[in-house]
Amino acid sequence: MYLYLYDNFLRSRKYDSLLSTIETRLTDFGIAGKIIRLQHLTNAESVINEEIRRGATTIVIVGDDKTFGSVLSKAAVCDVPFGFLPVGAGNSIAAVLGIPVGVEACDVLSRRRKVKLDVGWFNNRYFVSRLHIPPSDITVEYDEQFKVSSTKGKIELVVCNLQPYTWKSRKSQDIIVHPQDGKLEAFLRPVVGKGVIKEKYDEPSIFPFEEMVVTSRKPFLVEADGKESKETKITIKLAKKRIEMIVGRQRKF
Amino acid sequence: MFQKSTPPPMDTEYKAPTSSENDDVETVVGPSVHVEGDFASEGNILVKGSVSGNVKTSKLLTVEKGAQILANVRAGSAHISGNIKGNVKVEDRIELTSSAQILGDITCSTLVVEPGALVQGKVMMSGVSIVGGEESGPSRTSRSRRSVKQEDQEEQD
Repeated sequence: MYLYLYDNFLRSRKYDSLLSTIETRLTDFGIAGKIIRLQHLTNAESVINEEIRRGATTIVIVGDDKTFGSVLSKAAVCDVPFGFLPVGAGNSIAAVLGIPVGVEACDVLSRRRKVKLDVGWFNNRYFVSRLHIPPSDITVEYDEQFKVSSTKGKIELVVCNLQPYTWKSRKSQDIIVHPQDGKLEAFLRPVVGKGVIKEKYDEPSIFPFEEMVVTSRKPFLVEADGKESKETKITIKLAKKRIEMIVGRQRKF
Repeated sequence: MFQKSTPPPMDTEYKAPTSSENDDVETVVGPSVHVEGDFASEGNILVKGSVSGNVKTSKLLTVEKGAQILANVRAGSAHISGNIKGNVKVEDRIELTSSAQILGDITCSTLVVEPGALVQGKVMMSGVSIVGGEESGPSRTSRSRRSVKQEDQEEQD
């Protein structure tokens, strides 16, 4: 049995037509199932566990990157295959997974091409898309082998998992981080000064890693899959092949 | 991936890394970043900042102008425009541009040096076929030095 988790933003009328087309297509494929609309305070993990107990065999997330991240960061511990129907703007993860946005995603779902995905883990919680630390006085230690610090003070840190990260360079070609190569990628950008509107950054450093420890004397902000918290020490690891996901043929890994 | 299996002839003109080589860079040490500790990567490494610790990769190591490494270096191939204080061991080809400075020994198969590059240390290259060349050289030298010392002692006695 399929369980469809709809994001709250899909209540908007502008999605009615698209959703009904998707539901019709799913019925045609014989993979229609129960629909649960996620609320702001819905605990995805408990909802999924309850539905697995009732017989759900595949959980399908319907929404955008935020929906995907917020559901899977909680539900990565659930032992069930996941699917994704990207709807609306803000869908960059879908392209990585090879899933087209809109009705065509139903075709991918029906084919059930399953792949085990790596996810990031930090301080007892998973993150699937991206972890971000705004500029802070942090020291980063990689794989217990080497330490990285800035010679100019604060550093911004971005750790990419599924969500691709593009650093736009004015001088040379853009650098694109390709996810799913068995490692997480960390982007470090030291702050070199303040501009009129925002801070000026130096060229980024890129380090692929499996384990990273970020420490600071002062608490620093950590944003992972849209959720924020303040920490003084975080350990970021790669949980290999944690999630079973239905992906498309055009996936980028 | 892009390393050549056969070393190019010695009269080949110096060639900077192409953009396709840069695209393959997997680890980048930025200009205002300092790395402390042993630093190993399975992919290409581009150093623009400073590294205090051993650097190791089986692929291409690029040290840009202004960057510095204070330890031993091991790489599949290397393109050096910055400073290295330590021994450099490269499996295949090492290219030193005019701004490169190396204080240490270099071991490689192919060496390309642009005018202006500074090296203070020994250069050891495999494949020397001259009798009394690299393979038997150091041991013979040490033996001959010992024999000179022994002769001196005998003369003093």
